[in-house]
Amino acid sequence: MSESMNMITLLLFATMRALIGERKMDLEIQPGSHVRDLRAQLSAQYPHAAQALKATLFSINREFATDEALIPDGAEVAIFPQVSGG
Amino acid sequence: MTVFPTIFSITEDELNLNDVLSQITLPSTGAACFFTGMVRAKTTRGEPYQTDYLEYEAYAPMAESKMKQIAVEIRERWPSVEGIAMIQRVGRLFPGTPTVMIACTAAHRDTGVFEAAHYGIDRLKQIVPVWKKEMGPDKQKWVEGDYSPQAGE
Repeated sequence: MSESMNMITLLLFATMRALIGERKMDLEIQPGSHVRDLRAQLSAQYPHAAQALKATLFSINREFATDEALIPDGAEVAIFPQVSGG
Repeated sequence: MTVFPTIFSITEDELNLNDVLSQITLPSTGAACFFTGMVRAKTTRGEPYQTDYLEYEAYAPMAESKMKQIAVEIRERWPSVEGIAMIQRVGRLFPGTPTVMIACTAAHRDTGVFEAAHYGIDRLKQIVPVWKKEMGPDKQKWVEGDYSPQAGE
């Protein structure tokens, strides 16, 4: 593991969990990565999920985050489809 | 000053509406409005289909934080609301089973308690991270919502 990388925890829910086959993973990301960069990183790593990753919602530390959001070191990031509770 | 109760949770337990009502009833309370939703065995709106059960999952800590936020939004809009309860049940839920409830109490019925509960369930379906999978005789399908929250919403 490179010391210059940031570590995040990625949580996956619903269709994203089903597609990627993991509930939780620790990931290395480049310092200064934004949500759009993580979207690209995951699409490269899981090409079969690339289409779904284009539309998936992201949260950072339990707040909704858009493509422009910076991902801090140690963040809890989650990916999931539009919510359907009730 | 009276502290108004706010209850929010993601639970695998059966919803007990009477128990929740007693928790949000104060000496000053004279009205309560409940919304509860349940699993529908037969859907006839649009293309008809049958449901054997629904499988719910939640991002519980974020879901509870968003429920708390909705309670704040309700109190900003309807200051007359006294108690607020929001509970989402998760796991495998069969037809006829209540899956969600939102209840608001107030001194009187005509100061927004109906609107507050209506707002609460609509908002829950927009920003509370919960998902369900339809399990039917012919298909299994994740249900997806149609709302994309803004950053920080």
